[in-house]
Amino acid sequence: MYYYCVLFVVADSNSMYLRIERGSSTPISRQIAEQIRAQCLSGVLKAGHCLPSVRQLAKQLVVNVNTVVRVYERLAAEGLVEMRHGEGTFVLPPPVAKEVKAELRLQRDQFAREYQAVVRHGLLLGLTVPELRRMLAAAASDEREQISKDNGAEKSS
Amino acid sequence: MSEPAIKVDQLGKSFGSREVLSHVSLSIPMGQTFALLGRNGAGKTTTIRILLGLLTPDAGTVQLNGINPASDPLKVRSQVGYLAEDQTMYGWMTPMELCRFLAPFYPTWDMDWARANLDRFEIPHHARIRELSKGQSVKLGLVAALAHHPRIVILDDPAMGLDPIARKEFNRDLVEHLQTSECTVLYSSHLLDEVEAVADAVAILDRGRIVRVGQTDLLREEVKQVLLAYDAAAGMPRPQGLLDVRRHDDRLAVVTDQASAYLEALSAEGIDHEVVDLRLDEIFEAYVIGRTQDWPNGSRSAAASA
Repeated sequence: MYYYCVLFVVADSNSMYLRIERGSSTPISRQIAEQIRAQCLSGVLKAGHCLPSVRQLAKQLVVNVNTVVRVYERLAAEGLVEMRHGEGTFVLPPPVAKEVKAELRLQRDQFAREYQAVVRHGLLLGLTVPELRRMLAAAASDEREQISKDNGAEKSS
Repeated sequence: MSEPAIKVDQLGKSFGSREVLSHVSLSIPMGQTFALLGRNGAGKTTTIRILLGLLTPDAGTVQLNGINPASDPLKVRSQVGYLAEDQTMYGWMTPMELCRFLAPFYPTWDMDWARANLDRFEIPHHARIRELSKGQSVKLGLVAALAHHPRIVILDDPAMGLDPIARKEFNRDLVEHLQTSECTVLYSSHLLDEVEAVADAVAILDRGRIVRVGQTDLLREEVKQVLLAYDAAAGMPRPQGLLDVRRHDDRLAVVTDQASAYLEALSAEGIDHEVVDLRLDEIFEAYVIGRTQDWPNGSRSAAASA
């Protein structure tokens, strides 16, 4: 396993950093999209910043040009960036609701991967699926109780 | 749709009694970067040599930009840039002499481009070729293959023997110079992590036959590993695209193509399963060394299909 890293200056004091892992089970397009999305949502990339051109990014990361096009198109469809013909790809100011929704989905995606890893770990330890299911049900009811207790404590204080 | 840049139809070739290619068909659209994958001896180099008109096929036809290399090899060579596996060049020449030697063979030879790229690759113009490093020789081979601005580029395992940094550079050049200039590229490689990132589509060649062709990203969506209970799998029909089965006590690890159909069938029956994403090298492995003897009702279904 090895990495391709790039650092692009997108404005005077801002830069975009990507680190793409080769030989990962996460497809390269997803890795690129997730990292750019995270930097848009966290404000590292600000509205109006111009992303590197498709060719530049493809060359630096050594990925197929069409892969980068698809990533930019996907981010544009999500409303995070705008592809202006002949000018480049620009970061958009994310509408608040959209931002929250995107952030939520991002976090849920991340959670799904962690969950998958936990389940795999359990199977490798010899737990059966019914056992895992019982553990999930027990954990869920414990946690739900704890969360409602916390909420109650918050309200009373 | 325009004509494919490279069209291979039902190719067959034997050396003596040994069949090295059988019913090989490929269609590569203009501008695509296409990787030919296969183990040593699978038939990659033979296919490439037929494409160049260096070998005559026993059966089938090939066309590059509509030209048949068997009847018009010189015309094909003028349109195609070719880097052979372990390209040997005249060791006593210098890179500059080699370029001057090649130029008259190609009406479109671009000496300025050749000179500029020798510089960019830091290849000394006036050293003897036999004194160049392996990496420099491959790069010189590339300059020599591309200086006539071919529309089709065929590279036989170009990254072989390069160190990791030279490989990265080579792949970067592939993306920068060929993919962005709408060149059609056919190359063979064993570096599957790089192929996955760089190629639009791949073909897996195994013992002279194409066993799978597909868009690189779709291939990863369609071939999956499924983990499930042995007894549950035994009660279900064998998946259509079954490639590999491993039994671990009461669990089964199944690699199958057209995975979505199998997953739907499992879900419809309420069978617990886990889906694992595979990397290109794992998919390749399933196709060329996958074995299905461990399938629970293997003997029965083999009898049924025979």
